[in-house]
Amino acid sequence: MTDHDTSTSQNIKYPHWQREFEAALLEGDAQKLRKLVDAAEAAIFLRSQALVECAQGHEEQQAISDAIRTLRDIQREKLGYPDWNKK
Amino acid sequence: MPKKRVLLVDDNSVVRSLVRQLFELTPDFEVSGEAENGRDAVEKAESLKPDLIILDLSMPVMTGLDAAPLLRKLLPDTRIILFTVQDGPHVEQLARAAGIHAVVSKNQLASKLILQARAMLASIEQEHRPSKFRTAS
Repeated sequence: MTDHDTSTSQNIKYPHWQREFEAALLEGDAQKLRKLVDAAEAAIFLRSQALVECAQGHEEQQAISDAIRTLRDIQREKLGYPDWNKK
Repeated sequence: MPKKRVLLVDDNSVVRSLVRQLFELTPDFEVSGEAENGRDAVEKAESLKPDLIILDLSMPVMTGLDAAPLLRKLLPDTRIILFTVQDGPHVEQLARAAGIHAVVSKNQLASKLILQARAMLASIEQEHRPSKFRTAS
């Protein structure tokens, strides 16, 4: 949990997707977790589209990359997704 | 010219819906079906016989990389585009090894997916045209 302590806080730096992402991080119930991960992924996808043409978005894009990596770990470890990178 | 049939494969229904809207705005394509994981895609592809498959990488049950070789075996003429947030040379290499024709990042504008799809299907038209009508490349 320590890795995510900086983001799970009162300060929402990236309002387009951070709340959804943090909700997924904090969920323990697998049924609800799948929905929250899907919602976070969708929010991140939509925000990524908006950031493509935004010159100031580098820091947020890096935060998105980190969030995507975390969501993949959750999918694999808690939701039983197969590991595509196993080969 | 008949519309090209597209099968959308992604575990996220919001992403599927957005990509569907994008293809439906384009007169060259019609979305003939959706699947939510690789196994579902293989089952549906057999009956839908799409011209193009838009395939996510990370999905439950069966990943895009595991589904791609099965889809290629089933439908050798169908083109497959991996549409994923995981881009980079490593994914490109794995995708090529799985028989995927192109990789488009979800971190780029989604309209790039349409451009790639058009380019890919134009190349099929070119291949199927009698040789005397082919454009020199």
